[in-house]
Amino acid sequence: MDLSELQDALASKSFGKIGEICDNLMLQVASTGISFQQDWPYSIHLLGHVYANDLNSARFLWKSIPSGVKESRAEVVAAWKIGQCLWNRDYAGVHASIRGFDWSPEAVGLVTAFGESYAKRNFQLLVSAYSTISVADTALFLGMSEDDATSYALQHGWTWDSTARMLAIQKPKTVSEQKLDSSKLQSLVEYVFHLEH
Amino acid sequence: MDSVEALVAHIQGLSGNPTEISHLHSILKQSEETLRAHASNLAPYIEQLQPSIHSLGYLYLLEAYSCVPVPRENVCSFHACVVGFINSCSAEQIRIVPEKFISLCKRFKDQVIQHQLPIQAVAPFMTAVRKLQASHEQLTTLHSDYLLLCLLSKCYKAGTSILNDEILEIDQPRDFFLYCYYGGMINIGLKQFRKALECFHNVVTAPMTPINAIAIEAYKKYILVSLIHQGQIPTFPKYTASSAQRSLKSYAQCYVELANCYATGKYSELEAFIQSNMEKFQSDNNLGLVKQVLSSLYKRNIQRLTQTYLTLSLQDIAKAVHLSTSKEAEMRVLQMIQGGDIFATINQKDGMVSFHEDPEQYKTCEMILQIDSSIQRLMGLSQKLTAIEEHISCDPVYVTKIGRERPRFDFDDFDSVPHKFL
Repeated sequence: MDLSELQDALASKSFGKIGEICDNLMLQVASTGISFQQDWPYSIHLLGHVYANDLNSARFLWKSIPSGVKESRAEVVAAWKIGQCLWNRDYAGVHASIRGFDWSPEAVGLVTAFGESYAKRNFQLLVSAYSTISVADTALFLGMSEDDATSYALQHGWTWDSTARMLAIQKPKTVSEQKLDSSKLQSLVEYVFHLEH
Repeated sequence: MDSVEALVAHIQGLSGNPTEISHLHSILKQSEETLRAHASNLAPYIEQLQPSIHSLGYLYLLEAYSCVPVPRENVCSFHACVVGFINSCSAEQIRIVPEKFISLCKRFKDQVIQHQLPIQAVAPFMTAVRKLQASHEQLTTLHSDYLLLCLLSKCYKAGTSILNDEILEIDQPRDFFLYCYYGGMINIGLKQFRKALECFHNVVTAPMTPINAIAIEAYKKYILVSLIHQGQIPTFPKYTASSAQRSLKSYAQCYVELANCYATGKYSELEAFIQSNMEKFQSDNNLGLVKQVLSSLYKRNIQRLTQTYLTLSLQDIAKAVHLSTSKEAEMRVLQMIQGGDIFATINQKDGMVSFHEDPEQYKTCEMILQIDSSIQRLMGLSQKLTAIEEHISCDPVYVTKIGRERPRFDFDDFDSVPHKFL
């Protein structure tokens, strides 16, 4: 089994590509007919899909793992635990299962990076979905203590409503490019030409 | 055995250039009988050939060898041989005899499925599909086999690589039915319901004179996916085959009733209906999908609320859609905001949700790029259609058939003739 491509991706921290690289490598290895299941880096493979937010692939990979491997390798189960919490939208559970396992040196970088990006993603979700939210819930989504969550939110421009004991969310103004260049005019001409002929 | 030896010598001598190969092809065609007669003894001869150089000859021998059951002890080496061949064979040479290549690949597929090792054939089949097809627009018989292997080995994502191709050339209707059916199943697994719907739609509305089993099964899934994605079953477009319009519904009675029950929007009634028809759905292998239909009803009902109210308390949402707590309603609304199904803001302080209009104003650069690429695609498609129409209207068979069906003169032609002349 030549896993150098995977090692390179892990070393260069290109975590977003891990899932896809593993998928391709696994299909290549499988086609040679040798039995690979015992030595396959399933935990990295699962975490790669989780990192890329590709829960469906993680779910099907988990289903295809032989039961012997699931029983003998705790890290594989721990990696799937994260996937399971994501699937059930158990926001706090995701953070808990990241922290609840002593990850191997190969996996630890990937898991930590996922934890950070997950917290960021959840923060964006809160910004888009809430106008006010309790500190306890914020802490739950971000996987931080209440004090840390409060200071994190305040740093990002939220305000503290002391009477209601809630955080009030300030939505940042998004500016999107709306200017068009003259090449658009050219394509409009082409469309009209197409319609008339 | 001498004849096989001579044949091997021919293969080795005549694989250099296209003229030699076409000569070799005719020799091989004549010796098919001989090869079949010696099928079980061909292994040592196959080893004498180079799959990349002698692709055509190699294919003939290997295909003949696979005609008879491969002995158990040779299965592994046979698989390795087929995989090696698929990976290194020359596409030009195998396309001379596509039917041989297809039959070899199909036997290989049957074997790995029989040995419960479908994943072994996924990567080779991808290569095989690409080598067999002249362009990515062509649908081959191997497409559906590839998708089946992806499904069986749970490598759903691998299936998307060929599902993203725009298929415009189809040889066999059966290939197309199976390709779309399996493609729909892959998209269901990946929760790409819009794409799944498109796949099943293609099966259900494809031309068919007698109705077929694939279309019936596809129609059942089509109903379920439509409910999840759109909340109702679309009516048949008018280009649907009349046999399908007439009888598909009667074959999927239970599913049509499910859709009627869904339309009432009552969760408990839908749940009871599913309970009482559990066995039917289970035997169709659709129970998982049916359960997704049930849970999509929450979403649909919340969506319906956004059409009536501007703001609503979480408590009222929970009550209206039969959720037990307001926290549960909050989580549902949050998921829907995340999925882009509704536009809303949750206010925990007052326990209220305010619903908004779609903020998209279709004037950003990204949106214009997207619209642009859609228009480009549609223009390409319309050019293709024009080309096909021109091609058909020049086809002599078509022209004679149309000429025969249409009476030579219309009655209108005689209208102006004065009565006295008749």
